[in-house]
Amino acid sequence: MSDWYAMNVVLIQTTLTTLLLALSIQVPIRFGVFSFAGVGAFGIGGYTAAIAMVHLGWTTWPSVALGAVLAGVVVFALGLVVQRLTGLYMGMATIAFTLIVSVVAVNGGELTGGPGGLFGALGEIDTGHILAVVVVVVAVLVWTEAKGMGRRVDTVREDPELATAMGIDVARYRLASFAISGVIGGLAGAITTLLRSTITPAEVNFHMVVLALTAIIVGGARSWLGAFIGAVIFVWLPTVISFVQEWEKVVYGFLVAVAAIYLPNGVLGLIKDLVHRLRTRQERARMAVLQEKG
Amino acid sequence: MGSAARKRRTLLAGLAVSAVVATAACGGPEAGGSGGGGIEKTIKIAQVQDQTGPIAYAGLGASEGAELAIEEIEQQNFLGEGVKIELQKLDTAGEIERASSEMNKAMGDRDVDAIIGPAATQQAAAVAPLVGRQKVPTVFTQAGGQGVVINDYTFRVTPPMESYYELAVDYLDKKGVKTISVLYNATFPTFAELGEKRVPQMAKDRGIEIVQSLPVQMTTQDFAGQSQQIARKNPDALVMLLIAPQSVTALRQLKDAGYDNLIVATSVQAAGNIKEAGDAANGLVYPVPFSTAMDGESSAAFTEAFRKKFNKDPDPYAADGYDAMWFIARAIKASGDSSREGIRKGLAQVAKEGFTGAMGNLTFEGNDARIEGALVQWQDGKEILAQ
Amino acid sequence: MQDLLNVVTLGSIYLLFALGMALVWGTIGILNFAHGATFMFSAFVGHLVTRETELPFLPVVAVSVLVGAAIAALTQLLAFQPILKRSKNQHAAEMRILIGGIGVAAIPLALAQHQTRSSPFGFNSSYDAEVMDVFGLRLTTTSAVIIVSGLAIGIGLTVWVRRSRQGLALRAIGVDAETAAGMGVNRTALAFGTMATAGALAGLAGALLTFQLGAIAPETGDQLLIKAFAIIVLGGLGSMAGTVIGAYVLAGAETLVLNLNYGTWVDAVSFGLIFLILLARPQGLLGRKEVRRT
Repeated sequence: MSDWYAMNVVLIQTTLTTLLLALSIQVPIRFGVFSFAGVGAFGIGGYTAAIAMVHLGWTTWPSVALGAVLAGVVVFALGLVVQRLTGLYMGMATIAFTLIVSVVAVNGGELTGGPGGLFGALGEIDTGHILAVVVVVVAVLVWTEAKGMGRRVDTVREDPELATAMGIDVARYRLASFAISGVIGGLAGAITTLLRSTITPAEVNFHMVVLALTAIIVGGARSWLGAFIGAVIFVWLPTVISFVQEWEKVVYGFLVAVAAIYLPNGVLGLIKDLVHRLRTRQERARMAVLQEKG
Repeated sequence: MGSAARKRRTLLAGLAVSAVVATAACGGPEAGGSGGGGIEKTIKIAQVQDQTGPIAYAGLGASEGAELAIEEIEQQNFLGEGVKIELQKLDTAGEIERASSEMNKAMGDRDVDAIIGPAATQQAAAVAPLVGRQKVPTVFTQAGGQGVVINDYTFRVTPPMESYYELAVDYLDKKGVKTISVLYNATFPTFAELGEKRVPQMAKDRGIEIVQSLPVQMTTQDFAGQSQQIARKNPDALVMLLIAPQSVTALRQLKDAGYDNLIVATSVQAAGNIKEAGDAANGLVYPVPFSTAMDGESSAAFTEAFRKKFNKDPDPYAADGYDAMWFIARAIKASGDSSREGIRKGLAQVAKEGFTGAMGNLTFEGNDARIEGALVQWQDGKEILAQ
Repeated sequence: MQDLLNVVTLGSIYLLFALGMALVWGTIGILNFAHGATFMFSAFVGHLVTRETELPFLPVVAVSVLVGAAIAALTQLLAFQPILKRSKNQHAAEMRILIGGIGVAAIPLALAQHQTRSSPFGFNSSYDAEVMDVFGLRLTTTSAVIIVSGLAIGIGLTVWVRRSRQGLALRAIGVDAETAAGMGVNRTALAFGTMATAGALAGLAGALLTFQLGAIAPETGDQLLIKAFAIIVLGGLGSMAGTVIGAYVLAGAETLVLNLNYGTWVDAVSFGLIFLILLARPQGLLGRKEVRRT
């Protein structure tokens, strides 16, 4: 077990950071806001933490905290500006924001290290630390998914007019989703950067948006558990299918397409279906037994 | 890799470790006397480089070069009678996380004695602190940026482009060039460094005036505007620092815009990457760490052996892999010890002395290789030495 | 003046690429993320064919157009249609179509990367671009072909979607798929035809761009995809005329920034511009008001 852990520690850590990134995209979508600003927040968080460590000589956790807070503030401010956009127009505006973050990093001179990025920001982070952060984040999200809060969030997404009629301040919920997404994205960026000690502008790109979106759609879009499943799949899939060698990317594409076709609610939906079916069958069997007895 | 296969390998690795421990325990006195573990019968080298994805060419080329080197090392009994080298290829697929993960696996496998590390700077910079911490000697190829050669365990066999770019500027000076324009991809770290700092400095030292400096970015695909601006200024020469597809387009559009003067480029144009520009690429000059046109004895011998084994021309990436593998083999011979620590000592020693490989004479600044390089000219579909 | 001509050429390149994507997205509501891969792979097949035997201009274009149409038709048949069949409504299918497209796109990309080792590829053609002198301006024959075909197809599609019966049916699907089906629109057949047409346009763009640029790399399609996405949103979803205008606006902005010699800021300025336009006009330049309540 400990051997296995030692061999795969990077994958385990990457799964956790990918989960954070996926959650930063999933949260706004659950609130009915099609925002990809979480990836921009990843860049802001990563750069801020690296700058704090390299230029200011801060220690690991204050740097991470600064990155997360700053990303949260910036994305919240973005939310204030773009809140009246809807659907894919919102998507485009937030992608534009993300790409602008990258361009600013390229042109940031000494501060951001220009196109070469920053390096040497190796933080003291181990798996336990990341796990603790993830647990806190997930606990907050579970609260937004549970009972009354969960229902209110669902209403804000599915039927904003009804939500307003019910006395829910839709605009405030949506703005809150920006702030949460910013903080989570910032955490993901800061932790990832300090784990691998470097960040470059080229990483904060459209591909990252695609990866995060793929993970939550394939995993399951409605719950943190779906994002977790997605993160596990996309971090571990390449290792699992590496026996196909140079055809790895082909198999990867094929599997993603198949998942999109056959899993309307993602892997989580599939699991829920199976559990549901199993329960119904047990229930039926019990009923049958009862009837026979009766 | 299937999980069953992985389990089996982990198990085997475990067995191998215990076997080594057992032998070490038995042969304690002798081993202690010679001060090292000696040379194993099978030496395992992990190549953690891109085998798929956008920069697979670097990893695939290096694999071919390394395989050729292994064949020669084994045939010559360079490390002693019957000593085999096993090359394990681990694919980083163009991703930083994959690179750290695969590196971590290689470092965790006690059988792996040394690593040929990632070719992309970002991947290399992410793993460099780790190999220092885990004390695994790692030889990088390509990875020309900063933050790669940072501790006693990191070595780099490909010289960074700026270390031999003087060749190109010297050539311009020799040709009597007085004015140049610089067209460069400013989002590509190496080109940004060259275009903004190195080339201006080199030009200034030789009294060459830069009349125009045009930065573009990674996503720029059309160079009609820049080409016309350059044609209007009509400098004596153009320094073109662009990635492969951009170069093809720019060369054609420069011709269309009526610019016919000298153009110097970079080693990105090697490996036939400029072929698609057709006649527009004729006369293009660029410095390379390796070319089949190089006439030095060791380079020519490499080219010939490579052609014989693979039935095609070697590219600079193959030369990287070849020199990296020979670097490691020489290190093992120098220290007489194929353990990780032994290889590190050997690498440092060989680096101090330098050696001759596919790229010619390699000398080292610390752990970082330097070469003379060659200036080549593209003419009718192949490289010749520039006159 | 020469600069203006360059803007028109660059805009026409973007337009040719974006038209196919805009057509399927604006009418049958499919945001096809495999469009870039279709574009790239049709040019790649053209490259493979001309490697065997040298061909003149038109046959190369014909090969690429056919391949593009075939890939898009297959994508529709094997991926998008099954997704639509398994979805309750268009809205539920949207995300999965996005992800399905991403999966499909990975396959041709991996194949081309594997074949070329990611080096640029072009055509071995007997056609050679000539430089013409038009009122003192330099214009290559390829540029002329691109400008003419871009504008002609752009305007042609605008008029066709607005005037013809099929165009009406398509627009009906775009507004409300279920009602349109109820009124006798054969959605499956129309969608299939539209996708094939869009694929043919992608193939045309692939061939013309490869002639224009001399060579493209397997990754070129990805770079154009994000630009096309921006152009369509900028113009306003569902408006072909908007796409035409959007393409030239983006090209104009990029060329202006390049001419002012701020090459590294190109993306920031062009995406910043899109951001601002969206703030001023939340439905894009010529977009229709969203009827959906999201």
